[in-house]
Amino acid sequence: MPDLQDADSAPQPSPLLTAGRLLAERGIYGLVWFGRDLVVSARYGRLTDFCEVGDPLTDNCIALIGLEDDVLALAGQPPGHVIDIPAVAIMAGDRDLPRVNLTVFWHAESSSFLMLVARATSRSEMEGELSKQMRARLMAEAEVVEKSRQLARANRDLEDFAGVISHDLKAPMRALRFAAEDVRASLDAGDIDAARQRLDEVEARTRRMSSMMTALLDYASVGRKSDVAETIETAEIVAEVVRSLLLPDGFRVDVTGTWPQLRTVRAALDLVLRNLIENAVKHHDRASGRIEVSARPESEILVIVVADDGPGIAPVHHETVLLPFRTLARPGQAEGTGMGLAFVKRTVATVGGRLAIRSDPATRRGTEFVLTWPRSIDA
Amino acid sequence: MIARKVMLLGEIGVGKSSLARRLVLDRFDSDYLPTIGVNVYRYEVKPPPAQGPISLIVWDTDGNFGESIFSHVYMKQAAAAFIVGDITRRATLDTMLRLRSGFRDAFPGRYDALIVNKMDIAAGEEAHLPDALAVGAPGVYHTSAKTGDNVRRAFDEAAATILRRGL
Repeated sequence: MPDLQDADSAPQPSPLLTAGRLLAERGIYGLVWFGRDLVVSARYGRLTDFCEVGDPLTDNCIALIGLEDDVLALAGQPPGHVIDIPAVAIMAGDRDLPRVNLTVFWHAESSSFLMLVARATSRSEMEGELSKQMRARLMAEAEVVEKSRQLARANRDLEDFAGVISHDLKAPMRALRFAAEDVRASLDAGDIDAARQRLDEVEARTRRMSSMMTALLDYASVGRKSDVAETIETAEIVAEVVRSLLLPDGFRVDVTGTWPQLRTVRAALDLVLRNLIENAVKHHDRASGRIEVSARPESEILVIVVADDGPGIAPVHHETVLLPFRTLARPGQAEGTGMGLAFVKRTVATVGGRLAIRSDPATRRGTEFVLTWPRSIDA
Repeated sequence: MIARKVMLLGEIGVGKSSLARRLVLDRFDSDYLPTIGVNVYRYEVKPPPAQGPISLIVWDTDGNFGESIFSHVYMKQAAAAFIVGDITRRATLDTMLRLRSGFRDAFPGRYDALIVNKMDIAAGEEAHLPDALAVGAPGVYHTSAKTGDNVRRAFDEAAATILRRGL
């Protein structure tokens, strides 16, 4: 350090200037001067290497973009007013700049603005490590919560499944037992013809129960198979479904709207469309009818509507009809397993879509099944 | 060229920085580096919207701020906010909705969008999202910073809206 008392030595910079130069050269701080035109007029220190004299300040100091009016307003404010932006890192592609604190103030002596650029403290490393550990803990906690939720969902599925088995299969089991008792009674009475007829009933009921069990097992396996998402042309799929259906005379299916490409599970879309159209025909109350299948692409989803002109579904049944083994079949209508719409609902859920029913026989005929189908999934 | 400041808000670890890096550098780094303070990026919208060329100055904030971010100098003169959540962490989605309310209260009339991120590991979770965050819900984007899905679209549409509304 120069001896400030030695008047005979050549003029030496003051200790303050020497220290200041050292800090600027070491990249601890820097200074940028700019005028009311926000063009850099001077700069000092390695930390200001991001800007050049003569360039608009915000060309490179992008953290001040949007704050130009606030900066200019400093000139009319009492001394001491500053704009302080702490811990900013300007990411300039592969040339990320160090994290700095920016302080802008009006420097009345030079009638210009002065921006102090100071390196943010190195405690950021410790903070970074702490944040990393906190994040790891949060991720682990989130994973536990997520697994718990999945477990709860699986348990609910199991309970529903057990409920269906105990409730919906109990009735046909009981009917089977009664039919068997009737066979015994007929044999005891020596009435072979009646016994044969009862045995035919037993056979029909066991076949029906077998169908129900198969349907239930298929239902349980929806979403658990390793279905692969692929790019498909939905127009081809819906055309193929319509072609393959055996429609009664008097019924027709019209395909309308825009059917785009999707990245989804082909079998899922096929199943859903097929079940909804078949369901509309099966539950129609007239000898002729029309089903319209339309599609409308939106940004992330495809909205598919299957609309019929049948009797409609009362709002009170909108949830029930989507449950396994539930049917609103009227007397005389062919009985199914009551699983079609349950399959639809479950399948739609597995691809991340939603299903809604719009129908109210009290106001008008017809039912609309409205599907929102994600345009891209990874299965 | 017009430049507008937009904020990335949301809890730590939801993918704010990954979204910014995917948008600007078209890169994804699996090594996590927490953001301290704020990282600022410039994104030039290409091709430019019909209304004209625009750059978005993306402020990628430290997730530890929570709702106190709205009184921080970082938010000054922000034209828009993207509020990010992680689909694999339900709590971050709840935070998204609170942050959106906070942003709308603090900055009425500005543009906001909700980004549900990490869709590449969503595994069918979309069906369990609340209606406000469901696929197709207005102002909601389902993205993956890892694969790039929907990232550019979210920001490009925001840029067009900012220009159209003169924000």
